[in-house]
Amino acid sequence: MYFAGVDIGSTMTKVVLTDKAGNLLSTIKGPTGAEHRQLANEVMRQALNEASLQIDDISYIVATGYGRLNVPFADCQITELSCHARGVHSRFPDVRTAIDIGGQDAKCMKIDNGRLVNFVMNDKCAAGTGRFLEVTATALGIKLEDMGDISLKATKKVQISNLCTIFAQQEVVALISRGEKLENILAGLHDALACRIAALGRRLGIEPDLVLTGGVAKNIGMVKAMKESLDCEILVPEEPLITGALGGAILANEIYMKAVAAGEALSTKARRLEKATFFGEEHR
Amino acid sequence: MSWFMGVDIGSAYSKGVITRDLELVASHTIISGANYRTSAQAIRSELTIKGKLTDNDIVATVATGYGADSVYFADQKASDIVCTARGINNVFPQARTVIDIASQSTKVIRLNENGIVTNFTVSEKCAAGSGRFVEVIAHILRIDLADFGPLAARSENPITFGTGCAVFGESEAITRISEGIPKEDLAAGVNKALASKISSLVKKVRLEQTCAVCGGGALNTSLINTLEKELNTTLPVPPNPQIITALGAAIVAAASATSQSGEKP
Repeated sequence: MYFAGVDIGSTMTKVVLTDKAGNLLSTIKGPTGAEHRQLANEVMRQALNEASLQIDDISYIVATGYGRLNVPFADCQITELSCHARGVHSRFPDVRTAIDIGGQDAKCMKIDNGRLVNFVMNDKCAAGTGRFLEVTATALGIKLEDMGDISLKATKKVQISNLCTIFAQQEVVALISRGEKLENILAGLHDALACRIAALGRRLGIEPDLVLTGGVAKNIGMVKAMKESLDCEILVPEEPLITGALGGAILANEIYMKAVAAGEALSTKARRLEKATFFGEEHR
Repeated sequence: MSWFMGVDIGSAYSKGVITRDLELVASHTIISGANYRTSAQAIRSELTIKGKLTDNDIVATVATGYGADSVYFADQKASDIVCTARGINNVFPQARTVIDIASQSTKVIRLNENGIVTNFTVSEKCAAGSGRFVEVIAHILRIDLADFGPLAARSENPITFGTGCAVFGESEAITRISEGIPKEDLAAGVNKALASKISSLVKKVRLEQTCAVCGGGALNTSLINTLEKELNTTLPVPPNPQIITALGAAIVAAASATSQSGEKP
């Protein structure tokens, strides 16, 4: 018996396959981005290949994330908040606060025994999300994944005066031409984002320890900046990107087992391993 | 009879004018680029050529805008709010409100019959409330800024953006293009979103007639039409709306020169 969680984020698509006991069989990540949009089926296919399984071997598939509504091979959709809470709980059973920073939003969640009890999120303004770092990395001509490491070499933080990502993009280029060091600018950028995320977290109230997930949690400079902004210990799962997909697979397992125990037949409508669509009718 | 210069270095465009007393003689607009000092210099040399003058003919120069500090030859600096009010008062003496739609921000200014600022508000530091949103979308549509308004005007079905953020709006526009949405509907959607943001800004200071529009954003006629519908009023636009703040700067230069020399203005 196998289960799958498919998390279609704005930047990355993540698939987690588990067996009945919850062991990870495969975790595959692929870009969701503009050119690679709608390739959820490809990511799923890779995950199935790695685990040497067929789509019909999977007992139940949960889709989550921003693009969850149009996955033609999923059996049900669950919000990324519930999936994240479940995913965090599976790795850190005692943790009560988690912050997920993705490419298009940031969510601060209160978790009680694996269930989401409260949350605040920002999906209105790119300046409080991972997109802020993506856009400024591009403007500075460096790779997103190198940003954190470079920022650790900073000798000071260059204050970024613009809040808006678009204006900050212009500002960092001007700062470079003014002779500011790249690492110091990066430290300033991480600090600016961390301050905004911390403000979001404080609206909910943070009970340490805090777990940080999402793609931005892979950025060591960001973890450091968050630690400084919130003045508390920050835990990061081994693979922070797959937390939502993992939670999805765990919930798929639970839903399936509950149905089996109740003697109900779960309708798994015909799955099509086809492209997912964005901004579909259902989504708007 | 004396000549004055006003230089307005904006984040996207640099504008300059020469006036003979309070009358416009020459104007020049260029892209600001990375070096504002070079832009300021280019503005000055082009203006003096256009006005058939030398640098020494200019009695006083006032600098304004985002990069005012880079205008090394200026005699003084003035706030862009004050300059915009003086400039619009010069071309539209009846204006009591002016909306300045620039790249970095949108400003709504109330002024009296003498061009004195009585109240103002500036858009939050957000590209979605300024002309920058138009620039960003024009860039991904691969069209010239000048073509944006006419393109949007052809739309019968402006799209509604699902976001109030210019960065997310950019991604959304890319997706919509790949879905085959006509360019004009996208451009009109941008104007609709921007007009709605500007309209709520206007309501903060209360609109008093006559309300004029200036700044580079005023060149986007479709935006102004959308804004007119949104505010339910007509919004006159001066012939060269982008130079109004620079014109105001020259007027400030003229005013301070006359007050120093003891003459009555």
